[in-house]
This record gives sequence, C-alpha cells and structure tokens, in this order.
Amino acid sequence: MSSVKLTIALFIIIVIASILGTVIPQQEADVIAGRFSPGMISLFRELQLFNIYHSTWFIGLMLLLSINLVVCSANRLPASWKLYRKISAPDEAEIFADLPSDRVILVERPLKEEAMKLEGLLKKKYKGIRRKDTEEGTFINSEKGRFSHLGVYVVHLGVLVILAGMIIGFFFGFDAYVDVAEGESIDKVKLQGKTDFKKLDFDVRCDRFSIDYYEDGTPKVYRSDLTFLRDGKILQQGPIFVNRPATVEGIRFYQANFSSVPSGAVIGIRKGRDRALAVRVHIGTEFDLPGNEGRAKIIRIEENFMRIGPAVKLDIQSAKGNVQFWIFQNIEQIMEENPGLVESVPLFNPGIFEPYVFSLAMIQTKYYTGLQVTRDPGVPVVIAGSFLLVLGFMIVFFYAHQQVWIRIDMQGKNTRISIAGKTNKDTVGLNREIAHLVENI
Amino acid sequence: MINTVILSWVTFIYLAAFVLYLIRTIRGKEFWGSLASITLFIGLAAQTAALILRWIESYRMGIGHAPLSNFYESLIFFAWTVVLLYLVFEWRIKNKSLGAFVVPIAFLAMAFASLSPNMNSRIQPLIPALQSNWLTSHVVTCFMGYAAFTIACGFGIMYFIKGLDRHAGSHPASMLRFLPSRGILDELIYQSAALGFVFLTLGIITGSVWAHNAWGSYWSWDPKETWSLITWLVYAAMLHTRLVREWRGKRMALMAVIGFACVLFTYLGVNYLPGLHSYLKS
Repeated sequence: MSSVKLTIALFIIIVIASILGTVIPQQEADVIAGRFSPGMISLFRELQLFNIYHSTWFIGLMLLLSINLVVCSANRLPASWKLYRKISAPDEAEIFADLPSDRVILVERPLKEEAMKLEGLLKKKYKGIRRKDTEEGTFINSEKGRFSHLGVYVVHLGVLVILAGMIIGFFFGFDAYVDVAEGESIDKVKLQGKTDFKKLDFDVRCDRFSIDYYEDGTPKVYRSDLTFLRDGKILQQGPIFVNRPATVEGIRFYQANFSSVPSGAVIGIRKGRDRALAVRVHIGTEFDLPGNEGRAKIIRIEENFMRIGPAVKLDIQSAKGNVQFWIFQNIEQIMEENPGLVESVPLFNPGIFEPYVFSLAMIQTKYYTGLQVTRDPGVPVVIAGSFLLVLGFMIVFFYAHQQVWIRIDMQGKNTRISIAGKTNKDTVGLNREIAHLVENI
Repeated sequence: MINTVILSWVTFIYLAAFVLYLIRTIRGKEFWGSLASITLFIGLAAQTAALILRWIESYRMGIGHAPLSNFYESLIFFAWTVVLLYLVFEWRIKNKSLGAFVVPIAFLAMAFASLSPNMNSRIQPLIPALQSNWLTSHVVTCFMGYAAFTIACGFGIMYFIKGLDRHAGSHPASMLRFLPSRGILDELIYQSAALGFVFLTLGIITGSVWAHNAWGSYWSWDPKETWSLITWLVYAAMLHTRLVREWRGKRMALMAVIGFACVLFTYLGVNYLPGLHSYLKS
C-alpha cells in the first residue's frame, strides 16, 4: 500500500479505464449493440462498461489511490518534518570537506571586515542567518525555502480534499432536468440517469423564453425569465442565460435546452368570392363555417409537416359527410414545385370542401425552456482542494530549500573564505547563488 | 482580412526559422543560429501584431472577443505559445539546438491553420456556451501547458539523438556536439514537463469553474475532460518516477514523448469523439 510502484500501477489502470470510457459510448448501450454478440453486450453490462466512470470498480480504484496516497504521505512525512525543523549549525565541519577549488578564496583583507561584508551579502537573499565566531574562525549559515520540504504534502492534501468534495457531491447533491412551458410552473424535476423525480420545496415558473440571433443566423442569446415562488410569494425573480445560472436556496438552475411546440394558428377562410375571414385557432378548436354549411375542427398543428413547412389539419362535418385535409402556409410554393399535387391528392387540397378555400396565415409556437437543476454541496470543498493543489505546486516546483555555509578563517597571513551549499532540489539555482557570492568577493 | 494575410506569411517565416535552425545544427556555426533566432523573433512579433489586429477587428464587427474561439484561432494561438515559450527557454539556457525540434511544430500548426481547405478563418460570433470570462483564462492556461509539453518532448527527442553519440565512437558527428549534455537535457525535460503540468492543472481548474457555470457540473467526463485527466496522470506518473524512484535520462525522455502524444490526442484526436467541446470541430 505504501509503494510508489502501486501509485504508478493505479495511474496506468485508471488511464486505461478512462480511455475505454471515451471509446465505448457511455450510457448508450444500443449504439454498439449491433456490432457485438448479445453475449458480449451482456458481459460489457456486467462489467459496467457502459457507465465506467460511475462503476463500482472505477470508484474502487479511486478509493485505492486515495488510500495509497494517504499511506505514502504518512510514511514520508516524519522524515520531511525532521528536515523542515532541523536547524543546521553554522560550523558543521564535514560540510567544508572536499570543496572544489573555486569555492575557496584567499584574500588579503582582514577577517572581520570580510565577515561583515559577507553577512551583508547573504542578508540580501536569505532569511535565516546564523553566525558563530570561534577560535578557528567565523562561521555563517544562511538558508531559505525551508517550507519546500512540505510542498508535496500540500499537493497530496489538495488531491484528497478534491476527492472528498466529489464524494460529498455524490452523496448529498443531485443532478436533474426539467422542461417548463412558458407561463407554466413546476415543482418536480427528473433526476438524471434515474427514473424518479425530486420535489423542490418551491415552484419554478417560466415567464418567458427567448432566443436572439446574430446577423449571420447563429444563436446569440438563450434566455429564460424565471420566477421562484413559495406559497404564492416570490422568492426570487430574474433571467438566466447560458453561463449565467440562477441560485435559489443552494439549488442552481441552468439554461440547458429549449424546445417549441405549436400552440395555435391563424387560418383564413374564403367562401366563393367573399372576402377572406381570419380565425384564430388552437388544437381542438371547433367552429361553424360562415354560412353554417359545416362545422370545422382543428385536429393537428405542425411546425414543419413532412419538411414542407407549417401545416394545420382540419376536419369538417357537414350534411355532405366528413372530410379531412391539410392546409399549408407555403401553399403557393408547394403548388409551384409540385404541379398537379393539390388536384391529385385530396388530402392536400385546401379547396376540397367547396365552395370554401382555406389558407394558413401563421402558426404560433409555445416555447419550453429546458432547465438543468443541480445541487452540489461539495463544490466549495473542491474549490478549497484546488487552491491547495496549486499552492502545493508553487512550493514544489518553484521553491527549494537552499542552505549556504561560509567559513572565514586565517591561512598564514591571508584570510581564507570557503563557501559550501546544500539544496533539496535546485542544484542549478544553488550553484548560481554560490557563483554570485564568489564573484562579489 | 489583413490578419489572416499576415498569419499566412508568419507560416513561411517560421519555416525559414526552422530551416536556419537546422543549418545551424548541421553546420555548427552560431551565425546561422543568430539568424534563426532573429527570424523567429520577427515571426513572433508579426504573429502578435496579427492576433491584436484580429482582436480589434472583431470589436469593429460588433462581436468583440479574444481570438481564441474556434479551431483556426486555437491552432494559431498554439503556434504562438510554442514559439514564445521556446524563445524564453532559448534565452534562459543559452543554447539554440532545441529550435530545430520545436519550431517545426509551430510551423506545422500554422500551416494546418492557413492551408487546410476545410479551415474557417473568418471571425465568428461567440455562441452562448462560449460567452464567458473564463474562455480566455481557460484557453491561455491550457495552451501554455501544451506549449511546455511540446518543449519537453523536443528535449526528449534531443536526448535520444544525443544518445546516438555513444554509438558513433570517439568522433561524434558534428551536430551532436552542439546539443547540451545528457545531464542538462534530463534536467530540462523535467523543468519543462513540470511547468506544463502546473499549467495543465490550472487549465483543468479554470475549465472546471467554467463548466460549473455553463454545464451545471464541474466535471462531466466529457471526452476532452477525460483526456486532459489522462494526460495529467501520465505527467503525474512521470514526475513521481523522477522525484521518488529517481528515474532519469532515457526513461524520462520516453515519458516526455508519450505525454506529448497524449497532449496531441487531447487537443486534436478528441474532436473525433462525441462530446461537449465540439465547437473546435469547425
């Protein structure tokens, strides 16, 4: 459990599982049903391959990774903590053994003056400076970036906090969807991936849904004006857009989708040479034809019937019997493109019930807004984990524990300066610092 | 539009810079290296100008947004970040041999953007899903990560080529002499991969914040999200093997190349899978 080998093995397994999840269509077994035998498909189902990321074994892998992370970190923390707390003595003799020749410099100035100057130089770049004057000489020890020993634990803590946030969301949150027609309100939403509904303890009313387009016809704005009510009292009211959800009592409402259904139409009726009459109708509307020669009923309203545009189906009862036919909004264009169609297909003939001729002026549609409704109390935890993660990376990758020791002693008549250093990661940076010190002497 | 004209010229400037870096590597004369750096810098300056012009142009059209919204613009920005980061590395390490390995990638991205027949180079208005302040920070952090990984891969390939040195006996081919030592290359692979890892993490985090506001969930296992996690895990494995198990050299170089393959799939390959990030298809 405590080995990095296991960590790497888990990384590889999770990578392979994730790749499978992007190759096998998730949540849609039917898509590939034709390509494999039924036995294979049921094996796939058994292994939860159609819902990998939420499968028991995938969650098990994540759990195993978390345990491995905790154990590895716990094993290593005491050693790092010791390094973090350790206070080095300025006069560690062994540190000056085997110094390369370019780190030992002889000068003719007095020892005290040099010690002062070097201490000043170190103070510019380092924090913890300790000095010790002994019989043998003056020792100065300086350091920075002590906390870099702990960076990796901040990273690991960040990962664990993020995973904890995901678990909180999994158990205490929900993800649902609902269609709300303009002017109507709902208080139940359908849970995603499940068959049951969740009841909200307030109502959501869609006052209006609208779409704006750019000049070139691409959609610019999807907007729903929503009102949230409890016992008839308004809790909150305002528009939502894509990228701008509304939050009501911890529940977020997203503009996710929309649909429209035809709700009414305006049809024209002309009897013989009389002036045409406009009638506003809905599905199921019944009315007497002018002159009382029959009774009409609207049985269907279609936005795009057989891909030739808006159409309304009429049923007319009269002394002559019963007749049904479609009337199209684009009738002129249809007749132009299909000469003889109207005459040969009575179902498409707007003048079939003589002496009346029907036309369709327009149809009215009613919008439904599609709302995604979610609650995820884990989000603040995930955000906190992300901050820790990034903070930890900054410490791990951009800081190193650098220690520099300087010994100033006498060698004959000359003052001898020896510089040694130690770092936990950034050797290049340490060498640069030492070279800089040497240059300044 | 003037910006696309400049950008197609930049493609050729980068090609020229690549050829100069190549001559420098083969002939070993620093004269060619200096010429290559100057050419590349001119290309970067011209590309920066073109990007700013494109940005201004979009405001003149009344649909103002940063030029980061479709596949064409993302390829251009990818090339820009690769060249920018490369020049920073060149200046930091005072060695120009990486140019011959990284500049061709910037050139290919530019060539793909400028010459591919299905590429739409027009400035398009932002669809509602992209209208977010997170667009810029998400794209910039991700692409800085991609660029750093590109550079890590370049160092990785250099490491393998430097390895041919041994087989060449006591008289290494002249081009190998000018490559940094294997120890330095190893350190550079690590540094650039770590930089990329930090940026990729930031890219995933900014993406999650955005998804939380747009899609209703900070993580929905969309293929691009999943592949960014895969890439993240590959580099996490690379850094762990180095920092804990002290893998060095050839293994690190190989990991840098594998990681870059994942980056390429996350960036380009995923577009062939169904998912929420489909704005990049056009």
